[in-house]
Amino acid sequence: MLSLFLLLPLLGIIALNLPYKGKKDTVALLYVLLLSVGQAIVVLFHPANFWHMPDFWGRFFHLALYADNLTLVLILSIGIVMSAAVLVAWQTISESKSRLNFINLALVALIGMNGTVLLTDIFSLYVFLEVTAISSFILIAFQRDLNALEGAFKYIVLSALATIMMLSAIAALLLFSGDTSFASVSQAVKNNCCNPIIIFAITLFVCGLFIKGGLVPFHGWLPAAYSAAPAAVSVLLAGIVTKVAGIYVLIRLVRDVFGPVGAINDILMIVGIISIIIGALAALKQDDFKKILAYSSISQVGYIILGLGCGSPLGIAGAIFHLFNHSIFKSLLFVNSAAVEKQTGSTDINKMGGLGAKMPFSNASCLIATFSTAGIPPAAGFWSKLMIIIALWQNGYHAYAAVAILVSVITLAYLLAIQRKVFFGILPDELKNIKEAGIWIVLPAATLAIIIIGVGVFFPFLFNSFLVPVSNFFK
Amino acid sequence: MTNDMSQLFWMCSIGGILVFIIGIYCILVTFNLIRAIIGLELLTKTVTLFLILAGYVTGRTGLAQALAITLIVIEVVVIAIAAGVILCVFRHNKTIDVKLLRNIKG
Repeated sequence: MLSLFLLLPLLGIIALNLPYKGKKDTVALLYVLLLSVGQAIVVLFHPANFWHMPDFWGRFFHLALYADNLTLVLILSIGIVMSAAVLVAWQTISESKSRLNFINLALVALIGMNGTVLLTDIFSLYVFLEVTAISSFILIAFQRDLNALEGAFKYIVLSALATIMMLSAIAALLLFSGDTSFASVSQAVKNNCCNPIIIFAITLFVCGLFIKGGLVPFHGWLPAAYSAAPAAVSVLLAGIVTKVAGIYVLIRLVRDVFGPVGAINDILMIVGIISIIIGALAALKQDDFKKILAYSSISQVGYIILGLGCGSPLGIAGAIFHLFNHSIFKSLLFVNSAAVEKQTGSTDINKMGGLGAKMPFSNASCLIATFSTAGIPPAAGFWSKLMIIIALWQNGYHAYAAVAILVSVITLAYLLAIQRKVFFGILPDELKNIKEAGIWIVLPAATLAIIIIGVGVFFPFLFNSFLVPVSNFFK
Repeated sequence: MTNDMSQLFWMCSIGGILVFIIGIYCILVTFNLIRAIIGLELLTKTVTLFLILAGYVTGRTGLAQALAITLIVIEVVVIAIAAGVILCVFRHNKTIDVKLLRNIKG
């Protein structure tokens, strides 16, 4: 019944836009929450008759859908982040019509992301990437102020360039494979592995994905888009959209379809390490809450790429685990920034201070997310970074491992700077009357914080039941 | 590949590459938002041509047609959204100059 992941949101969009009166926005909220929590539950409890039932509806669409362990991880994170983002939107957007628009676009993004992770065809992959990108263009420009338009336009231009690169690569691969399914492309790459056109095509495709994922030579759009977008959209974009559109596709194609062609592992590692360093250093000198988080996102994605480029099963498992952790802690940090932005009306961290006493939940959850991002033991992020660093060390990349550890310290530095300037310190007079953000921001923040701590504490159980199967898949 | 096919292939490739270069040049030199998306359109048209060419060479024209039509549909949506964004920018700035769209410092 895999096609339900695509059909139910589509059905929702159609039903929500029929011309009838009523409390459409409440119904829409409940529907999208049902879908996103539902898909997380379907992954967690894994009812066998759901996953193995013959796909009745899919027959009409000729989509070859397939779910393996990597897909399951991504579907779980999509569900979690989507529900958090929708709840934050419910709190931060007050107008009923805007709420409805947001939820419609979120459903489009849900179709795009679910399709991207489920499909096994290189051209359909492009179609669903574009569906995701289109909904995020509109979401970034949601409030139509000049900064948001600038962020959206940058994203449109760079995303279109990425698309053009990927399509040229698809055209070049089509010359050899004659078909666009993963299996035939993989076969064609294996048969002509030293052909310069194939190498060129793969390099183009990977560069396109670097743009989509916001890695360092191509990261120009990312801080603008993240910081100008409305709070809830930042949660969605940083948490899951760019991770699915860039990083998931990269993992899938490099590990599953292209295989270790040419120097691709070296390219991945170099881009990863540059992203880690430049993202962290750029984050240090920012004084805007959301911009720090945006650069931090670049830096953390670098860790994922580094683990992927390392090539050993442990490294890939670490990369996938860090992908999951990143989607959780980065959405939590953006939920906290949404809470601060909603209550103080600003994202400039120099104008704040002492909010911790007034906003205890945001304070505590932000601290937990900081620990997870920087890799401090009880939190989940520690384990994934540890796996990546051990994998690097085992494969002889000692310098990369050392840099990865050092940059962890810088990560802690800029995130603690947020913590100190926003939540600790002295409360300025103009912020005396501040209160904790509403329940729909506190609830997702608390849930995400519990997930971080829970995954971190129960990691030894997860390692054998969850992460080892993920990495075995790639052998 | 027959002689005719080969000639057509090379003509289309060289023409495509020329259009591609024009598109890149258009994006790089212009300060006009509309011209920037015209440049993007040129690039996408080249890619469509390449896809059709790949289908022609491998003898799978049916597949190539399906891909090209899908590509055209998606491209129209992207360009429509870009045009919408440009329209909003114009309402704010009363001009479509890229230089006024550099507020966010990274």
